[in-house]
Amino acid sequence: MVKKEKYGSSKPPPRKPKMQIRELTEDHVKFVLSETDTSIANALRRSMMTDIPTIAIDLVEVEMNTTVLNDEYLAHRLGLIPLISTQVDKMKSPLESEDDDFVDVEFTLDVTCTSDSTMDVTSDFLIPDPKYPDIVPVKYNPVADQIGGESQEGILIVKLRKNQQLKIKAIARKGIGKDHAKWNPTATAVYQFQPEIILHQAVLETLSLEQKEEWVNSWPTKAVKLNPVTQQVEVDNAELYQYDCECIAKAEAMGKPGLCTINQKTDTFIFTVESTGVLPPQQIVITALDRMLERLNTVQVALKLESQTHEDGGEFYDCKYLDIWLRCLNVWQLIS
Amino acid sequence: MNAPNRHERFVVPEGEKKVEYVKDTKVQNAARFICNREDHTLGNIVRMQLHRDPNVTFSGYQIPHPLTPKVNVQVQTTKDSTPIRAFDESLTELVEEITTIKDVFQAELKNHHALISDKIRRLLVVPTGVRGTATIVV
Repeated sequence: MVKKEKYGSSKPPPRKPKMQIRELTEDHVKFVLSETDTSIANALRRSMMTDIPTIAIDLVEVEMNTTVLNDEYLAHRLGLIPLISTQVDKMKSPLESEDDDFVDVEFTLDVTCTSDSTMDVTSDFLIPDPKYPDIVPVKYNPVADQIGGESQEGILIVKLRKNQQLKIKAIARKGIGKDHAKWNPTATAVYQFQPEIILHQAVLETLSLEQKEEWVNSWPTKAVKLNPVTQQVEVDNAELYQYDCECIAKAEAMGKPGLCTINQKTDTFIFTVESTGVLPPQQIVITALDRMLERLNTVQVALKLESQTHEDGGEFYDCKYLDIWLRCLNVWQLIS
Repeated sequence: MNAPNRHERFVVPEGEKKVEYVKDTKVQNAARFICNREDHTLGNIVRMQLHRDPNVTFSGYQIPHPLTPKVNVQVQTTKDSTPIRAFDESLTELVEEITTIKDVFQAELKNHHALISDKIRRLLVVPTGVRGTATIVV
């Protein structure tokens, strides 16, 4: 067998992406990813939304429901309640589980309205599984702990009138956003291109101070400013530009087209990732990258396997040697 | 009623290949890779990575039908390479790139945490009046 050689012709060197965190709080992260391709940025965004395992209510057993909402409606609402998923790694999804794996987390809910006024049933009424007390709804504040006042931050499930009752058992499971949006850990996962504003000073100089001011004021977001000292228009913060083209329309209306050109820098991505609270935002980014690696590895392993089992798996090896071999074969045929 | 199971979009059933290699019968050094249970996330990055390879003369991907979880990657190379090799190398390069992003992000995270805790510490420092000493209130 011929061993494959290293590449002959020049290949562009691998990209060295850069990352800079702008803001990091408990519910969102803003970062700049640069020196990479749009496809990578988009894959990261898609991966964050659809590929990250989280926990959500998946199966609901209704024992008693005399509320105004039907069972399916309630099951759907319960499914959408975000549950703290930091322990999701210990769980197995029903698709990959074996006998004694940790698959189900059982929540219970039993409420009857006794008062004359309307009662709000919120996520605070859910009773967590005694085996996994850490798996609770986001911002969970159990009703039992609430002294007096009604819950403020719980997520509303249904409203009850006097003598209406709701008694259910809800089973939460591990899943990914691709299966159902309730497992999507992000509230927002977006990126924008860095705008590049080029002001044409030669054209700008033909404007009077008032006209300059008028033009600067036409920008809905103040990405440019008028320097009071030099009386020149300057780019203040290009990122504020929302690709609205208002400034270009205004320049044309003023009879001065070509005051500025605006391009997108397609190798710099400003990401905003907001978590629903199920996972810390930085964890979402890291897990998304891990999942991308996992998928690429799976495909690569499958490709190796396929190239071996395939009858012309020899293609994997260098074609140059194959050419030589074929030429030898030709010569041999000529001789014989 | 007859809707397929949702998990069929990403779980490879037993007996199904993750990647199938179909050699082009008419064009030399061309092949199609059928990636089962995959989507644009994979198809697009692989295609763009293949475009960087000077030995690849054509690369593109398609999803034959939005309801079938399948990605076809078509690759044609010069005679200095083969579709399988080009595909394999593009995957290796992507793994390297994403690992770099992950490492850079983790380093940046550490950096960020250090910066924040430093800021908090500075806010909490209360001068006691004696020069050169300060107490940290935590």
